[in-house]
Amino acid sequence: MTSDIIVVGGGPAGYCAAIMAARLGAKVSLVEQGDLGGTCLNEGCMPTKSLLESVSLYQKVKSAYDFGIDLPVDQVVPNWVNIQRFKDKTVRQLVAGIGYLMKKNQIRVIHGQAHFVNQQVLAVETTDGTEELEADRFIIATGSEPVQLPFAPVDGEWVIHSSHALTLSQIPESLVIVGGGVIGCEFASVYSRLGTKVTIIEAADHILPAEDSDIAEILHAQLKHHGVAIHTSSSVQTLDASTMRVCFTTRDGEEQYVSAQYVLISVGRKPRIDNLGLELTGVTYTKHGVSVNEYMQTTVSHMYACGDVAGGIQLAHVAFHEGEVAAVNACSQNGQQKKVNYRAVPRCIYTSPEVASVGLTSQQAREQYGDILIGELPFAANGKALIHGEASGKVKVMVDPQFHEILGVTIVGPLATELIGQGTLMLHGEMTVDSVEDLISAHPTLSEAVREAVLQAVGKAVHI
Amino acid sequence: MATEIVMPKLGMGMEKGTVVAWQKQVGDPVQKGETLVEIRSEKIEFEVEAPEDGVLLDIAVPNEGVVPCGTIIGYVGSPAELVNTDSSHVTQTTAVAVAAPPQKKIKISPVAKKIAEAAGLNIDSIVGTGPDGRITKEDVERAIAAGSPDVGPHVETKPTTATPSVAAKIPQENPQDLSAAPSEPVKVFVTGVRKAIANRMLQSLQQTAQLTITMSADVTDALEIQRQHGERIRERYDTKLTVTDFVARATVLALLEHPQVNSVFSDSEILQHTGVHLGIAVALDDGLIVPTIRNANRLSFIDLAKSVKSVSQRARSGKLHGEETGGSTFTITNLGAYGVEYFTPILNPPETGILGVGSVQDQPRYIGSELQRRSILPLSLTFDHRALDGAPAAQFLGTVKRYLEAPIHLLL
Repeated sequence: MTSDIIVVGGGPAGYCAAIMAARLGAKVSLVEQGDLGGTCLNEGCMPTKSLLESVSLYQKVKSAYDFGIDLPVDQVVPNWVNIQRFKDKTVRQLVAGIGYLMKKNQIRVIHGQAHFVNQQVLAVETTDGTEELEADRFIIATGSEPVQLPFAPVDGEWVIHSSHALTLSQIPESLVIVGGGVIGCEFASVYSRLGTKVTIIEAADHILPAEDSDIAEILHAQLKHHGVAIHTSSSVQTLDASTMRVCFTTRDGEEQYVSAQYVLISVGRKPRIDNLGLELTGVTYTKHGVSVNEYMQTTVSHMYACGDVAGGIQLAHVAFHEGEVAAVNACSQNGQQKKVNYRAVPRCIYTSPEVASVGLTSQQAREQYGDILIGELPFAANGKALIHGEASGKVKVMVDPQFHEILGVTIVGPLATELIGQGTLMLHGEMTVDSVEDLISAHPTLSEAVREAVLQAVGKAVHI
Repeated sequence: MATEIVMPKLGMGMEKGTVVAWQKQVGDPVQKGETLVEIRSEKIEFEVEAPEDGVLLDIAVPNEGVVPCGTIIGYVGSPAELVNTDSSHVTQTTAVAVAAPPQKKIKISPVAKKIAEAAGLNIDSIVGTGPDGRITKEDVERAIAAGSPDVGPHVETKPTTATPSVAAKIPQENPQDLSAAPSEPVKVFVTGVRKAIANRMLQSLQQTAQLTITMSADVTDALEIQRQHGERIRERYDTKLTVTDFVARATVLALLEHPQVNSVFSDSEILQHTGVHLGIAVALDDGLIVPTIRNANRLSFIDLAKSVKSVSQRARSGKLHGEETGGSTFTITNLGAYGVEYFTPILNPPETGILGVGSVQDQPRYIGSELQRRSILPLSLTFDHRALDGAPAAQFLGTVKRYLEAPIHLLL
């Protein structure tokens, strides 16, 4: 069986690539070993957001009194089974949606495990046996999987990774989270608000090491407020499953022990390159992923790679973009028509409060542009945030001192992950401060804070 | 069916033309008669109008492309015909090192624009790689790194001592500070009309055997006609007679008597023209052009005078028609307004003669034995000795003088 294009992997990168290629007229097959939608839909973005939404609602209802609503708050309890059910229902609906898109675009979906036999042939182990597939061009989009600690393999019982953390049978009493990055903080935000005693152990000197420390501090304070113990500049030494104790050294070099019902390992994700037969194709790859050029083309010209397996930024929306770019190029005559563009990639963390950024952090901006201008607007100065009851947090804007280019926007606070869209547009459009000076933001909205923060960078904000 | 837009031929001497600036972008609707594109021959800029209603389907030759006359430079047609046409033909045109005047719609990001301005970079010269050709910050930085010369048509007054890439990183200084900077010559780029004039004048001096003879004409009687009848002529014909009009008429009549002066010399032959296509040199702010009054010999004195005024005015406002540029057989150039008396005009190739008109001088002259105050007009005739010898040239100039001194004959 021969296709124009075979896509290996049905996650965000793979299904986007398949749809784009099909729309460009190619005959496309897609191989997926699990459910369509990949990590994002099944074990990542979407189910965590569902849990976080349930928890946020629970938290909001509990604070009803502050808004003048009398509720029997002590009777408001989270029903973990139903929270899971809501999550699973949402995921099922989304996965079915991808299945519908495959059908609509006449993409043949083959369920099975794929490995390359050579540069032209892909073998797929299905329930009906092995099927050998040939194609003119291949798109590798096999995604990534959680990194494990060498001394503490994930057993799914006590040492767990993010997928397990989504489907725990009940709300745990205690949880140690190794790694205070995006995934660790989101789970801390879920379980701490459900009453779990959460401990975060992070090796860097602040949680969310990819963001500025003043931003992380705001989340840090809120997590602490929810009862999370946070140990930064600390490293895990041993995990003792028999006693369910985690030994770690603190910032001062002191050894400490913490007991937990579960230990969640969230120290990053690695590209899924094993057992793919990549060594038989001549494609260059490292432990950081399959090497690609800016056309998402591997070192073998008819093979492309996109999404987490290609390394780089591990975000679903980056995978969407890379998948589309890979498909456009795979469908083009010379195989190189469109380049990827990572200029404005938003980074979203759905904790409470939410954190979202795009472009450079202030630290990165200083390294590249020197003495940058920074505009900040605290949500305490925004009327709508006060009405929301979420006045902690701020909008921070990094501005180039010479041309007043908007280099980065970071938002920590209510609906930050939605508000960041404004910043993304500004960066995508290479906007300068003066080009948004006369922008009219609706009042009263949280959105106003973004423009005010931009103007604050040049001392022109009104409400502060 | 798409209609081809070709590089027009604006006169005999024009072999190729430059696309100066498309006024429309591909996909823009156009109306018949609307300016579609500005083109330039060696001596004149000209607006090509849309031949029909429709949309601009394609630009085959981009701004600053130089192509032979008759080459297709674009297509106009119905919107349904708007397709992505092969752009390979664009690359076949010769790109010249002069930039177009700023276009109305150049897509550029706000920060890219600022960086380009700070670096003194002409954004017309930057190729945009963003959506729909938008110029991005990266494009500008690449252009700066590549040392892209500032080739703008504007006068460069900002001394740039640092390399462009460094300059881009230096915060812009207060313009007043520039006075403290070491003075450097103001650089004016030789482009467009200036370049065309430079080439043609040098070619004229290098390729012909030209010399100048002078003679004066007593135009007292002509001026008397102007004085006595000027008001009535203005009422009747809505025009004012000038010295140039008298000279133009006298020249046309003299050329009819001396056809060898109304000629073009080529290597093996001398072409004598039967019709007089009179060129009138007109000074512009940034150069000089020579509009042509075709078949001036068929015009009455008044019609010729009106034509001289009309083409001069339209030359200054850049509104000449195609047939009014180039193709002249003899040229008149007048520096009288500046007080110049005699000078040595340079031939306007391939013509054989050019008549320089000076400023009228009131001088004492003997009329018979009586000394009178007379108005004397200095005349300077440059001619190509390859085509014409001194005696016939002098005879021609004498005929011009004779007509001017007996103005009744100019009117008959």
